Amino acid sequence: MTKGDSLTDMNLTPRELPEQKRSYRNWIICGIFLAAGAFVVTQALGDAAVFYLNVDEAQEQKVDLADDTFRMQGTVVSEPETNSSGIIEFTVGWEGTTQTVRHVGEEPTDLFAFGQSVIVEGRFIGDIFQSTQILVKHSENYVADNEDRDGVGV
Amino acid sequence: MTRVTTTQSEDAKSAKSKAPRDAFGTASKLTRVFGVAAFVLTSALLVFALVISPPEVIQGESVRLFYIHVPSAIVSLYLAFSITLVGSIIYLRKKSIFWDLMAGAAAEIGVIFCAITLITGMLWGRPTWGVYWKWDPRLTSTAVSFLLYVGYLAVRKLELPPHVRRQRAAILGIISFANLIIVRYSVQWWRSLHQGTTLDPVDTQLDGSMLFSFFLGMLAMIAIGAWLLVHRFRVAWMEERKAEQSLAAAIVERQSEGRS
Repeated sequence: MTKGDSLTDMNLTPRELPEQKRSYRNWIICGIFLAAGAFVVTQALGDAAVFYLNVDEAQEQKVDLADDTFRMQGTVVSEPETNSSGIIEFTVGWEGTTQTVRHVGEEPTDLFAFGQSVIVEGRFIGDIFQSTQILVKHSENYVADNEDRDGVGV
Repeated sequence: MTRVTTTQSEDAKSAKSKAPRDAFGTASKLTRVFGVAAFVLTSALLVFALVISPPEVIQGESVRLFYIHVPSAIVSLYLAFSITLVGSIIYLRKKSIFWDLMAGAAAEIGVIFCAITLITGMLWGRPTWGVYWKWDPRLTSTAVSFLLYVGYLAVRKLELPPHVRRQRAAILGIISFANLIIVRYSVQWWRSLHQGTTLDPVDTQLDGSMLFSFFLGMLAMIAIGAWLLVHRFRVAWMEERKAEQSLAAAIVERQSEGRS
């Protein structure tokens, strides 16, 4: 731009904005949001996010649960038996309490076996827990399958 | 006069030799190093993850998904989105366009790796749990993170004055990070279907060659992520320059209009 050009005589310096004050306010708003988020996470969600009840808790709350559908977690403590009509019966245990499960839903994965942790979804029918879905839990431990071992992943 | 000519010809020469790369490309020595590293490490990962490492005693072959699932989760949720957080903070403090663009580029890479994490997790969930998806705390919080950062990328595309858009994006880039803390601790705070922390720094629950395959996966994903990040950042930088140039050109045009 050449000197004397009328347009360049304009003051093009960026004007000072009251930036400091505004960004300070924004940080406070951010803080309030974060605190609210933290509250929701630690308090509100904590109760609502119970993904399953353990076997002992389910039995304690049996009356309240009535025929509500819920998830129950435990270890398979008996060899599962499948009858001719495809119904699987087994026992799950947790903290010394056991519960008989009759599974009438889709077949679980190959990982389902004696000793495995499972989450069963269903409801109480009398003394039996009737399950419509078996989710097989896997622990965070990963153990290499030795070559001399028979079968893989069963 | 002679001197001026020399300088001009030197300028022309250097412009000629630099032009194709600097003006129209996003590659550099750094991206070549990352690119080659990504290729070599991914090749090694394929061999280790698919051939050399053993099947798991309970899960069998599906454990091999671990070597992609966990590294991509770490690269996405912890590395990429951390860069977005840092970039957003620096932008708000110093109004540095470099860091604004870096935050955006990192979020894009993070979203891609987060999608990989979700997809490999679903593919792994079916043969293990029996379902592709359950709304358990870890899965839900990860999905929320994915959506938050997609939202962040959407904010970056809003038709707003650049400084307003950058500021809003930066605030969202900071707030979104809070959810990652929930993702990290979800398996400890709440009951979940998802397994707990395998890679405890003190007590790793992973056998020998499995651990090595995991580290290879980690390095491969970091190399791929870094490689993409540098390229993506340079594209964003060039877009920024282009926008500036068209603005400058428009000003010149208006000025010449005013003169005539």
